[in-house]
Amino acid sequence: MTRLQWDQIRAVIRLEMRKTFFAKRGLWVYLLAFAPLALFAGHAITMRFVNESRSQLAARNEKPLSSADFGAIHEGMSREEVEQRLGKPPIFYERSMRTRNDANEVEEWQLQTDRYSDGESDYEFEFRDGKLNFIHISQGCDFGRDSLIFAGTFQFFYLRLVIFFGCLGIFMNLFRGELLDKSLHFYLLAPIRRDVLLAGKYLAGLLAAVVIFTTSTALQLLVMGWHLDWNSVSNFLYHNHGFAHVFAYLGVTVLACVGYGSVFLAAGLLFRNPILPAAGILIWEGINPFLPALLKKFSVIYYLKSLCPLNIPVDSGAPPLIAMLVSNPDPIAVPIAILGLVGLALLVLLFASGRVRRLEINYSTE
Amino acid sequence: MSVAAVQEQILCDNVSKFYGEVLGVNRIHLSIPPGITSLVGPNGSGKTTLMNLMTGLIRPSRGEIRILGLRTDQPDELFRMVGYCTQFDSFPKGLTGYQFVYSYLRLFGFDHSKSDRLAWRAIERVNLVEPATRKIAGYSKGMRQRIRLAQALCHDPRVLILDEPLNGLDPLVRAETIALFREYAAEGRHVIVSSHILHEVDMISDQVILLSNGYVVAEGQIHGVRSEIEEHPMQILIRCHQPARLASRMFEQDHIVEVRMHSDGRGLLVKTKDADRFYRMLNHIAVDGIDIETVAPADDDVNSVYEYLIGEEAAR
Repeated sequence: MTRLQWDQIRAVIRLEMRKTFFAKRGLWVYLLAFAPLALFAGHAITMRFVNESRSQLAARNEKPLSSADFGAIHEGMSREEVEQRLGKPPIFYERSMRTRNDANEVEEWQLQTDRYSDGESDYEFEFRDGKLNFIHISQGCDFGRDSLIFAGTFQFFYLRLVIFFGCLGIFMNLFRGELLDKSLHFYLLAPIRRDVLLAGKYLAGLLAAVVIFTTSTALQLLVMGWHLDWNSVSNFLYHNHGFAHVFAYLGVTVLACVGYGSVFLAAGLLFRNPILPAAGILIWEGINPFLPALLKKFSVIYYLKSLCPLNIPVDSGAPPLIAMLVSNPDPIAVPIAILGLVGLALLVLLFASGRVRRLEINYSTE
Repeated sequence: MSVAAVQEQILCDNVSKFYGEVLGVNRIHLSIPPGITSLVGPNGSGKTTLMNLMTGLIRPSRGEIRILGLRTDQPDELFRMVGYCTQFDSFPKGLTGYQFVYSYLRLFGFDHSKSDRLAWRAIERVNLVEPATRKIAGYSKGMRQRIRLAQALCHDPRVLILDEPLNGLDPLVRAETIALFREYAAEGRHVIVSSHILHEVDMISDQVILLSNGYVVAEGQIHGVRSEIEEHPMQILIRCHQPARLASRMFEQDHIVEVRMHSDGRGLLVKTKDADRFYRMLNHIAVDGIDIETVAPADDDVNSVYEYLIGEEAAR
């Protein structure tokens, strides 16, 4: 690449910036990119309220209680024994119940429900005629659990749908949009090699996609920790690979833009209708776990899955198809995954540069 | 043809372009020297297709085009020498006239100051300085045409290819634009203009290429093309004081096909099969004392040539 070509790439990026960032037809990309942020913000706001009510409940305990105090409570204890250990419950209900037993006889009994909180979790004890019958614990938030929620949302919603369709919107328009606007000849009449033009447009699209989607990822992570106290957050960041996870998510976001960007740039040169390639590629990415080993490598999600910092635990009762989709039975090493994805993107861009060299301006057929 | 000659000319070697089953142009052999060359033909005759082929916007189905020795699939070299003012009336969104030309120049790899200087120079040449800082979306058709022209000539190309460049221009700007083309041609550059307005072509062209249904039906200097159309006698208008006496002398010649008295009674319209013999005869007549004011070919223009070659329907 010569200096002149770099200058030309910069000129293309400058021209494309306005279109990739501020085009009216790209507004939905922003809405899509920041949709998960709304989810996490909603979750954080809800959890803030819940935490506040738990703190208020804990403050009404007769004495300060820890999770260890609650750990000592077990089914079969009498209500008096529980109150001896925990004190009078701040909230309690009592009701008379009438139920039929196995012999179809009507039984009358007393249901007593006592509610406590240690400030982090809620504990509900149900007594039947004074004997502890059932313990229900509403666990408080911790970064570990929220991390898993984030990992699931990131892998199955953000990567596979948000970034996927966002890149479709950004990259397919780079050539396709100008063919529709009948303004692509502006570039093709300049003394710039077609593959250099392609590189400029790709980098412009990549810059826009990376800025939009990494900002969204960073904000999601930020909002996710909003309802937690600083101690939990710093503990997660400094002692539980938190920073490594944050950088991994940001890196995976960038690589997703690299991969899907190249795919949709090429698709924009091949197809007039974006729905067809979108559906085709979505299906291809979806069936990746069921493909033979060689074909799996021609999929962006194959590499991204291995780069995600957390594996989603598969429920033992999950149907095998779902389990296959969720699990990543053959993860690949991080350097290989990065190289594989970049290599795949370069391969697709090489193909696209062949297409763009043969591209003809024939607006009447568009 | 020598290498030097190839590097001075625009060459089309057996060029054909098909859009599926539809013919764009077929078997075009051309060798275009510097000067103003007009591509003439009705709508759909292949003018734009030929220009798009010359600039690599489309690729020939067969044959090869060389512009000053360069292949058309080398845009990085080609467009340093070629400027193309297309008929496509659409622009990148949101740009002002100045930004349109300036951005184009930045694609050459020029720095800001050079791009700025060249952009303003081109904008001045097409007389668009005042509206240059306004958005193109608010331009009139003529202004859009001029800003496209500015883009085509901003880098001082050796070859200017202009698709219907005078469309939408008012008479004053039209005259200025034609003067600009002449200036370019006088500097030994190629100016290739397409038009279906024949009197315009007649006025500005050094040579014409007549196209019909994708084929070149004639090429060369307009007067040379005309004299080769033997089946249509040349028409010559003679203004004189004694038209009846002159007419009687004309009828003595076997190459004279028809003589008609001009409606004002002060001239004749003569049709001859042999222009050379006619002009020799006219010298003798003048010597014999018939006072001849002016002699002018009446159908030695592109309109007539086009009509004779392609037919009245097409010429209309």
